Amino acid sequence: MESSNPTPAPAPHRELSRLAALLRYEILDTPDEAAFDDIAHLAAHICQTPSALISLVDDHRQWFKSRVGLDVSETARGVSFCTHTIEGQDVFEVRDARLDQRFSDNPLVTGEPHIRFYAGAPLTSPDGFNLGTVCVIDAKPRSLSEEQRTALARLSRQVMRLFEERLHAHRYAEQAAMQQALLNSAASAMLVTNADGYITGVNPTAERLFGYSEQLLIGQPLTQTLFPIDALVRRASILSDERGETVEPGFAVLTAPLAEGQREMREWRLLHRNGSTVPVLLNVSAIHDEHEVLRGYIVSAYDLAHQEHLQLRLQQIAAQVPGLLFQFCWRPDGNSSFPYLSEGLEDVYGLSAAEMAPSIAPIYSRVHPEDREHVLASIRHAASTLTPWQFEHRIDHPRKGVIWVEARATPMRQPDGSVLWHGLVTDVTERKAEQLELDKQQEMNRRLLEALSEAVVACDAEGNLTLFNNTARIWHNLDVHDVGPEHWAEYYRLFHADGETPLSMDEVPLMRALRGERIRNQEMTIVVNGTVRHVLANADPMFASNGQQSGAVVVLHDITERKQIEIMQRDFVSTVSHELRTPLTSITASLGLICGRVMGEVPEYLRELLEIAHQNSKRLSALIDDLLDIDKLYAGKMRFDMQAHPLQPLLEDALRNNQGYADSYSVSIEMDQCPAVAVHVDAMRLEQVLSNLLSNAAKYSPAGETVALSARLVEPQRVRVSVSDKGPGIADAFRERIFGKFAQADSSDTRQQGGTGLGLAISKQLMEHMDGEIGFDSTPGAGACFWFELPCHALGEAAT
Amino acid sequence: MRSLQRILHVEDVPSIQVVTRIALEKLGGFTVLSCASAHAALEQAQTFQPDLILLDVMLPQMSGIELLRRLAPLIDLQRTVVVLLTGQPDDPASPDELQRLGVRKLLHKPFDPLQLAAQLNEIWITEHE
Repeated sequence: MESSNPTPAPAPHRELSRLAALLRYEILDTPDEAAFDDIAHLAAHICQTPSALISLVDDHRQWFKSRVGLDVSETARGVSFCTHTIEGQDVFEVRDARLDQRFSDNPLVTGEPHIRFYAGAPLTSPDGFNLGTVCVIDAKPRSLSEEQRTALARLSRQVMRLFEERLHAHRYAEQAAMQQALLNSAASAMLVTNADGYITGVNPTAERLFGYSEQLLIGQPLTQTLFPIDALVRRASILSDERGETVEPGFAVLTAPLAEGQREMREWRLLHRNGSTVPVLLNVSAIHDEHEVLRGYIVSAYDLAHQEHLQLRLQQIAAQVPGLLFQFCWRPDGNSSFPYLSEGLEDVYGLSAAEMAPSIAPIYSRVHPEDREHVLASIRHAASTLTPWQFEHRIDHPRKGVIWVEARATPMRQPDGSVLWHGLVTDVTERKAEQLELDKQQEMNRRLLEALSEAVVACDAEGNLTLFNNTARIWHNLDVHDVGPEHWAEYYRLFHADGETPLSMDEVPLMRALRGERIRNQEMTIVVNGTVRHVLANADPMFASNGQQSGAVVVLHDITERKQIEIMQRDFVSTVSHELRTPLTSITASLGLICGRVMGEVPEYLRELLEIAHQNSKRLSALIDDLLDIDKLYAGKMRFDMQAHPLQPLLEDALRNNQGYADSYSVSIEMDQCPAVAVHVDAMRLEQVLSNLLSNAAKYSPAGETVALSARLVEPQRVRVSVSDKGPGIADAFRERIFGKFAQADSSDTRQQGGTGLGLAISKQLMEHMDGEIGFDSTPGAGACFWFELPCHALGEAAT
Repeated sequence: MRSLQRILHVEDVPSIQVVTRIALEKLGGFTVLSCASAHAALEQAQTFQPDLILLDVMLPQMSGIELLRRLAPLIDLQRTVVVLLTGQPDDPASPDELQRLGVRKLLHKPFDPLQLAAQLNEIWITEHE
């Protein structure tokens, strides 16, 4: 709409601020409101005009919040009278628009509603922006009286106040909604009371925490409902003492500290509806209105149950840990503190919680003076390198005396430069003592091993050699070397007792022990540089405390000297026997010739003495012969002419040869059954064994009795030959050594019974050389049955 | 069959020599020539013409086997019975040589002089059967 009368052009910058101020009131395009309509009516009435408007001017239009006598809700800004009003500060009045060149061609003047009169008072915001107007309009020219102008200005200010209130009401509703939301979602229980301590509001957390619904709490006295009376009494008494005036054990307990400007924050155990208690951190704040009048209190209760639960758990865990668990903080300024210390404090340092200062000083004072510097240095080192700290040191414990502890902790650098340590201190006095004792024992064992004249060698479960004592090193001329068990015999020169045959791996005593055997007195030799050392080996498996085999150990005892003495003894016996035999042979033969009357009659008075001499020289010869036999058997020099012989003729020959001897004891020998078998033997040696058994049986039989000689098969290929007598039997005490050398039932027996005491020992050796076995069955007092068993085959069959 | 008559006996131990000689003479009724050494036996053997030679293997200076080796060219050892007395478990020579030297029997010590006559007779009879 072009006009020769330009409308006023407002400064662009100020216009933007004005629009922002307008929008802040959030009033544009809102429905009609009675409060504004009343003012519009008042304006029309006061100014005696048919129309009145409350108009707001935005960037392109004027919008009417209220209108009287006008149907349109807005008009374009270009044609509006109000645009002119908001340019000024006072009431803008146009008495006759047709006469005013600014409006004469305005369509609102030339057409409907044919405006002639206009008067508007600007709506000025507190910050000075004119947002719109309260204006009156008439289709007739006229003017306002001074009173009417003033009234219009007052009405415009009233509209502005309504705008402000409206805005505040909005803001308040928002805040209230937000506060309610905050309250509802608060993690703490919130209880609002009036000044007398009666509950006026609670949040859902409070309902949950104490088990009451809101309705049950509203109107109830707070302390009587939720606080245990004994706790209130206790607290009231403390507060009374502090303040020198009586504090009642009720709500005053919570509010009294506030009166002095203190913030009341304290742990309480409050009552749940079900009678249990709830640990909370309680915070009480007073609510004052804008006139500093006390309106009530907000009581917030933070649930400590979870925290208490965590603390309990930590305490329980710490109680299971032997020693002291701690958290230690070392600040850059040198100050230190213990945020956490477990109950092990007393056990390790003899300090009660009460004696504990926030610093490390009380603990440091317990450290043994000689160790303090090292402890401190090690902590510093760990802190500077942030490496785990571990240090064994002594503590002067007030009750236990000096104890050893092991301390370990991990340092962590904190953002503020301090170092936080988590660690553990344990009493290791016992372990230390055990270690010392163990060291002592080990040292002792080591010295013992080195001092032993026996050689000791050990290996672990994998067969790695672990120990050679001094003697072992000397004997082998070697020390522990990385040699597998399969090479031990070769490397350490281990041989059989003969000093020639190398031990196989399975024969090495240590290897056998490693496989679980217990070896006793295994004879073997160590041959180093051509020197043969005879040793007896005793070996045992070793077991760890869990029962697992941990290795094996062998102890070697040098018997070389004993062996040499044995050989010398044997040589001596052999030599003496040989030397004795020749003269004995001639004496026996001479006496035999005389007593056999070969040289003629022997005078009566000499006969008895010559007989005695003859008999005893024969016994001496027999003894010498036995000694030489034994010697040959042990030296392995006896020859055996092994051939197959039918058994029966051998038995019959033996019977015949011994009948004469038996006759001299008035004992007869009878031959029982004999299977038709052949045995593979040296006939002469078998005869020797049979003679021995038969002569023994005759010798020990009562006169007139019979000795039975018999044979039977015990297995298809094995025959047992038995010689049974009716003598006194074998005494229990004698059973063990009956086949030993110089064994007779009673040492006084030898002379009485006549015999060398070597017969059974020789017989046993002879039988074993012929693959046989010798033994006896006897019940003392009921005779004895001596037997031997031999492999055999049926007559006519070839020996297998 | 001719009976055993003449025995050449070589034994260095005098007591044994005497006892053996008496036992052989008295119990066996043999004619016995006792020699105390191999040398003495070597000197007298041809003249004595023994039916049987009884000698100890272990003799001083010259062993029984060596004596037989020297006698072999002088007398027919295959027709003269040789009996050796030995105290050793081992054979004094190889079986072949023993046979060549006319050894019919090795008697192991200890021996009983009183049974010797019977044993020699037995060997003699076995030889001539």
